[in-house]
Amino acid sequence: MFVESFVAALYLAFSPEVILYVAIGVMMGITLGAIPGLSGDMAIAILLPIVFFLEPAAALGLLTGIYKGGMFGGSISAISFGVPGTPGSAATAIDGYQAKLKGYPNKALNTALYSSVIGDTTSDFVLIFLALPLAIVALTFGPVEFFALYAFSLLLISALTKGKVAKGVAMAALGILLAMIGRDPIGGSIRLTFGIPELAGGLALIPVLVGIFAVSELIIQLGRAWMERARKIVDDTRRQAESLLGDYDSSKDKLTFREFRATWRATSIGTTMGTLIGALPGAGSSLAAFISYGLAQRFSRRGDEFGKGSLEGVAAAEAGNSATSGSTLIPLFAFGIPGSATAALFGAAFILMGMTPGPRLIYDHTEVIYALFLILIYANLINLALSHFLLPLYSKIAMIQSRILLPIVCVLAILGTFAAGNSVIDVWVLLFAGLLGVVLRLYNFPLAPLILGFIVAPGAERALRQSLLIGRGEWTHLLSSPIAIGLYATAAIMIITFTFVLRERK
Amino acid sequence: MFLSKTTRKGTAATAVAAMMAIAPTLGAASPLGTDPIRLVIPFGPGGGSDITARVLAATAPEFCGPRIDVVSMSGAAGLEAVNFVRNATPNGHTLLVTDYGPIVTSGYVDDVDWSHDDWQPVMNFTEWLPVVYTRPDHAIQTIEDWVAAAEANPDTITFGHASPLGLVHLPLILFEMETGLRNVHVPTSGGGETRSLVMGGHIDLGMTLPPSIASEVASGELTALGVFSQERSPILPDTPTFVESGYDVVLPAWLMIFATSDVPAETVAFLQDCFMEALASPTAVAMSNRVNAGIEPLNAADSTALYQATVASIGGILRDIGEID
Repeated sequence: MFVESFVAALYLAFSPEVILYVAIGVMMGITLGAIPGLSGDMAIAILLPIVFFLEPAAALGLLTGIYKGGMFGGSISAISFGVPGTPGSAATAIDGYQAKLKGYPNKALNTALYSSVIGDTTSDFVLIFLALPLAIVALTFGPVEFFALYAFSLLLISALTKGKVAKGVAMAALGILLAMIGRDPIGGSIRLTFGIPELAGGLALIPVLVGIFAVSELIIQLGRAWMERARKIVDDTRRQAESLLGDYDSSKDKLTFREFRATWRATSIGTTMGTLIGALPGAGSSLAAFISYGLAQRFSRRGDEFGKGSLEGVAAAEAGNSATSGSTLIPLFAFGIPGSATAALFGAAFILMGMTPGPRLIYDHTEVIYALFLILIYANLINLALSHFLLPLYSKIAMIQSRILLPIVCVLAILGTFAAGNSVIDVWVLLFAGLLGVVLRLYNFPLAPLILGFIVAPGAERALRQSLLIGRGEWTHLLSSPIAIGLYATAAIMIITFTFVLRERK
Repeated sequence: MFLSKTTRKGTAATAVAAMMAIAPTLGAASPLGTDPIRLVIPFGPGGGSDITARVLAATAPEFCGPRIDVVSMSGAAGLEAVNFVRNATPNGHTLLVTDYGPIVTSGYVDDVDWSHDDWQPVMNFTEWLPVVYTRPDHAIQTIEDWVAAAEANPDTITFGHASPLGLVHLPLILFEMETGLRNVHVPTSGGGETRSLVMGGHIDLGMTLPPSIASEVASGELTALGVFSQERSPILPDTPTFVESGYDVVLPAWLMIFATSDVPAETVAFLQDCFMEALASPTAVAMSNRVNAGIEPLNAADSTALYQATVASIGGILRDIGEID
């Protein structure tokens, strides 16, 4: 029975048509993921009706390809322009962009690619072989445990930068405040909108993300270019960059195996955390990437280099976000619960094909699901092959002079932001977030805690208030679960130890 | 492209032949021209409204003339979609597909510049019947268990539901008004979160719509206590209604297509006819069954009656709980 289904699945998964669809999907995903504002999820949503017209294996192949390509594509713009192409790659931007500024975009992109593929493949195997046990663990996460997890991640990231802990905490708080604009998740009333009805739904993630990172960068670059022009009038001897690429030397920018091996610890941390967090319904890839990044810095021998272009930082963040991609389907396969936006879209695709997500799925549609498992694995190889071929090109694009590149990126960002929600308000939010980003950069505030605060705040607030409702308003209810106590204790121990260790080093 | 692919799959060859015969005559008579029709939904993609609207978008072009796109606008808690349709040219090309939340409830509680009379129903897709459920190893397994437990210990039973005052919350409020029982209301981010909290043992009861739990109820992984409707849900035939247990609490949730009231009556009539014809086609019926959408279309007149009844009953509930004066 198993062998027969498996052989049938092999035929399905490796038919030339399906392989072609996977490759097209990966290509689309990489391209869309690389455009700030657009993401693989959006493309999946738009292409959903295709399941009416394609065979199930081909349709799932296309969607899987888009998803995986999009996961990696986000890191291309994060590294090249400092603009996370997708929310999941926000943590990648921290070190990836610094590496590019140092003239090593190719090293950073390759690190991102390999750690992504490693994280993703591991996560797919966990989905295939450990879905049920992990799903049962995931269900033990209720509001109390989730709040502890969110608190843990906020502490970890706020205390990321040495000497800037106060600024980090302030930024996390600002992120939480921005996320509270809109509808109160428990009472349903509108708050902090200052009478502007368009803000009733809150600020959307994509415009805030792209604004803080991309628009602020553009404004600063613009200011710098004007400063330089003004200086040039006085002193005309300024050296003209001769080619489009300035003085970028691609031959010095190759990732060696030794360099990649040095990121091994970071990649493993990212893979483990990403797989675990991905399996929790509602936690998401950006949280996984930030937690992986924070932990990798804590456990790195060269933690001081984080934030300054560390390849380990890139590896941890990318392995972390990509490792959610297989495990995010676990709650869907085990219980029919969509744990993320992507899982919800895959669930809708299954429903449109007449397959009900849940534990019966694998028994009722054995061949298609086995074929999907095979596709999940080999799509990574296609991603690896295609990206390997394309990365030298992307690295060159990354090094195009910013006065040419940034306006293009910004136009794409504005279009992408508009397209993501069909909303003009989002474009205004984007521009205001850009101005806020400029101010924060000028005063040297770290941006990552703000983004993480903004991302986790809705979940954290809901979890906190649900816990208090369930616990009849008793705050001690927050300590009623061993998992929660464990998370708080780990956070406390880590902060105390690392503060102590860092002080000794000085 | 759609025609050839469908034929290739051989699902509805006869329907396609019939469509081809009708299409040219309709195309000439269509008052809609060739610009696409947009079905705007105030929710994110992938949910029940999206899936149901896509069945229509895939089948109706042959009957109505132009292409049909499903556009998802979940901004401003759905009000952005409502305002977008409200401000579009009133020519029948921009329609709203929604349940009563963003249009009836929002019309009462939110600060909007339109009233309920500014909308006219074109057609109703289906009626969703809110259902209360729990895990099979929970002490509460029937409506009677729930009532007894809530009477013995008021304010202890935790009840998960999606956004406050939404489709799967108002029935609970109505039930509590009817019985005087009190539960702890725990809002969640949606059906998925409610279900993981119920299954993980974090809360006692949850409310959702039948298609999302039908297969788990059939396999015994979840227990459905009761449905807030006049008659039993065809998807959950073994689950009693609250009416059967003696509680007159009925609050089904429809999914309706709306035009603004300034769209000409003949355009609305044309849309109603071609949508109903499309949904009666064998292809649409096959698709609807496959996705468990339970589509049972109502024409514009019946939909209007249903809409006005809902506006009245929800207004009553909101007044009773003090949300509006």
